[in-house]
Amino acid sequence: MIAFERGHDGAITAGFTGPEASLITSLAEQIAGMLDPFAAPPEIDDPDAAALYASVGLGGSSRLSDDPAIARLLPNAYADDEAAADFRGLTERSLASRKVANARVVVQSLRVSDVTAGVVVLSEEEAQSWLRTLADVRLTIAARLGIKTDDDEGADDDSSLALRDVYDWLAWVTESLIDAIES
Amino acid sequence: MPQTLESLELREESASATEIDSPWVTLVWNDPVNLMSYVSYVFRSYFGFSHPEADKRMLQVHHDGKAVVATGSREQMEMHVEAMHDFGLWATLQKADA
Repeated sequence: MIAFERGHDGAITAGFTGPEASLITSLAEQIAGMLDPFAAPPEIDDPDAAALYASVGLGGSSRLSDDPAIARLLPNAYADDEAAADFRGLTERSLASRKVANARVVVQSLRVSDVTAGVVVLSEEEAQSWLRTLADVRLTIAARLGIKTDDDEGADDDSSLALRDVYDWLAWVTESLIDAIES
Repeated sequence: MPQTLESLELREESASATEIDSPWVTLVWNDPVNLMSYVSYVFRSYFGFSHPEADKRMLQVHHDGKAVVATGSREQMEMHVEAMHDFGLWATLQKADA
């Protein structure tokens, strides 16, 4: 990978090899697929009520997911269970929708880059979607690896070690993107 | 001048009502995943902290397990918590004295 940098025209660019681009595309698609059910409108028979729910983003679930990755991406906003459930009901759909949208921006920007020799060109807004999706991907990988504390390396079987390499590489991608955004 | 007295009483009432409604705080909690550079960047770009201030609060999260990053009304804190969740940071809100 060629690190993110800000060009003279202000655009943020990076170079990815084919396998790197495929990897990030796949990871972002998995985030979108995992969270899409939480972003989908609830099934309501009354069309007027359904439209209202859809327009204001209400209708989220009421409790923290049992899946540690989803629980981390859609966390409780209050320590108090009742307040957390109320807030989740009001905000979970819109939070999940924004995360799905960010992940799709990442997928789209890599799809466009296929025709221009691996160079990704991001607007300021797209760079923000990338940052958030990279964080969501790393949080999800950490949940799958069972990383729970600062010194935790997570599971150490072969497939976990490969995932750990991806996790560390994405940290480098993130730092490179922050540097470019702030340059 | 009864009218003046009435308006004074009202003002006192509304002042104490504001006090009940506030303050709340936004807390960011330590996690083993998000990079220190990323957390500091989020504090700078979202809350507008200077680089040293953002680093200070980021290190507080890292060493103490949590840090207060904003104080204000419940509605404002809910907005900040949602924004932190957008970034993948682990944040909650609570009453300042809780």
